[in-house]
Amino acid sequence: MELELVERYLQAVSKALPKNHQEDITKELRDNILSQVEESEESLGRPLHEDEQVTLLKKLGSPTRLAMRYRNQEHMIGSTVFPIYWKILKLALGLAFLVQAAGSIAMAAAGKPFFESLAVLFNYPNVALSVFGWVTLAFAGLEFFGTKYKGSDRFDPRKLPPLEKAPSTGKSQFELIATLVTQIVFGVWWLAGLHSPYLIMGPGATVLNFGPVWHSIYPLFVILVLLEATRTALKLMRPDWGGQWMLTAVTGVLGIAVLYFLIMANEVFVPANPNSVQLQVLAKTLNSALHLGLMVAAVIRVITLIVAGAKLAGRKFGQAYQATVGM
Amino acid sequence: MPYTMQRTVEAPMNSEVLENLRLELRRGCLILAVLAELRTERYGYTLRKALAEQDLEIDEGTLYPLLRRLESQGLLVSEWREEDKRNKRFYSLSADGKQILKQLAAEWKSINASLEGIL
Repeated sequence: MELELVERYLQAVSKALPKNHQEDITKELRDNILSQVEESEESLGRPLHEDEQVTLLKKLGSPTRLAMRYRNQEHMIGSTVFPIYWKILKLALGLAFLVQAAGSIAMAAAGKPFFESLAVLFNYPNVALSVFGWVTLAFAGLEFFGTKYKGSDRFDPRKLPPLEKAPSTGKSQFELIATLVTQIVFGVWWLAGLHSPYLIMGPGATVLNFGPVWHSIYPLFVILVLLEATRTALKLMRPDWGGQWMLTAVTGVLGIAVLYFLIMANEVFVPANPNSVQLQVLAKTLNSALHLGLMVAAVIRVITLIVAGAKLAGRKFGQAYQATVGM
Repeated sequence: MPYTMQRTVEAPMNSEVLENLRLELRRGCLILAVLAELRTERYGYTLRKALAEQDLEIDEGTLYPLLRRLESQGLLVSEWREEDKRNKRFYSLSADGKQILKQLAAEWKSINASLEGIL
C-alpha cells in the first residue's frame, strides 16, 4: 500500500482519541493529510517517497500528542506532559492490579482461607487510589516546577504499529477486565477450595473428599490460574502482542496433563469417612463414572489442541508464503 | 563577570517569555480570523491554506480542535459532503456565529485603535 504510513499514523491517532469521536475526527484528519499529499504529488509530478511521507507526518507531531489536543486537559497536567502522564498512569494501575491479583493467588495457594485471600484483590480500589494520587502528584510537580520542560515530540512514523487487518472483533476492554476479575476470583476460590473442600463441595464435603492426586498436582493448578490471568491481562494491555498462541498452547498442554494425572489416579474422590462401607461404594461408583468422563474430556482436549495447532501452522505457512512471493 | 552571567541566564528566559506572550496574543486573533474566513463555507484544508495566504499559519493540531470547539459553542455549523471523490467536512458560520463575529470585529477595531494610540 502506497500510503500505509499515513494509515498507520491515523490508526495510532484514532486509538488515543475518545471513543465517541474516533471515527469523525480520524475521517477529517485523513482528508486533511491526503489533501496535503495530493498537493505535494501534483507539484512534484510523482508519488511521494516514504521519506517524504515521514517528513509530512512528523510535522503533524506524535499521534498521541495530536489526539490529546482534542481533549480538554489543560489544568493540573498540561497537554505537553499529559500523554506521558496518561501512559504511566495506565501502566502503574495495571501493574498494581497484577500485584494484588498475584498476592491473592499466592495466599490461596499457601492455604489461607478463601475470603482472606480474596480480600487482597478487593483492596485494589484503595491501592489504585493511592497509585493515582502519587502519579498525579509527581506529574503535577513536574508541571509546576519544570515549566521549562518542552517535552520532545520526536517520533518515528516508521515505528508505528502495523495496520490491523480488520476492525477488532475481540472482546471489549470492559469484557476483558470482567473476565480477568472472574478468572482471579475463580482461581482463588479453586486453590483455597482444594485446601478446604467445603468451599467447593459444600455439605457434600461430609460425604466425599478430594483424593491424594489433587494435592500432588496442586502446583499445576497454581500455574494454570496464573497463566490464564496473564493471558487475559496481556490481551488487555498488549492486544497486538503476537505471542498469545504460545500461552494458549502451554495452557492447553497443562490442561491435558491435569486430565492425564486424574485418569491415572485410582481414586479421584475418597470417602470422608473411610470406615463407612456405604460411602466406599459411593466413591467407587463415582470414580468409575468420572474416569470415563475424564477420558472423553481428554480425547476432546487433545483433538482441539491438534486442530488449533494445525490451523496456526497453516496460517504461519500462508504468511511466510505470501511474504516470499511478495503478495 | 557577574554582568555576563546574568546576561547568559536571562537570554533564553526572555525568548521563552516572548514566545508565550506571542502565542497568547495570537490565540485570540486566530479565533477571529477563523470566524471571519468561515463567512464563506470551507473545509479544514482550504481554511488552513486561506489563513496561511494571509500569513496566519496554524497547525492542524490547533485548527481542527478549535473548529470542533467553535461548533460545540454553536458558532459554526458543519456538514459532510463529497468533493473530488472524497468526503470532506465543510464548515460555515451559524446565525449566532455571524452575530458574534460582528461584535468581535467591532471589539477588535476598538482595541486596535486604542493600541495604535498607545504604541
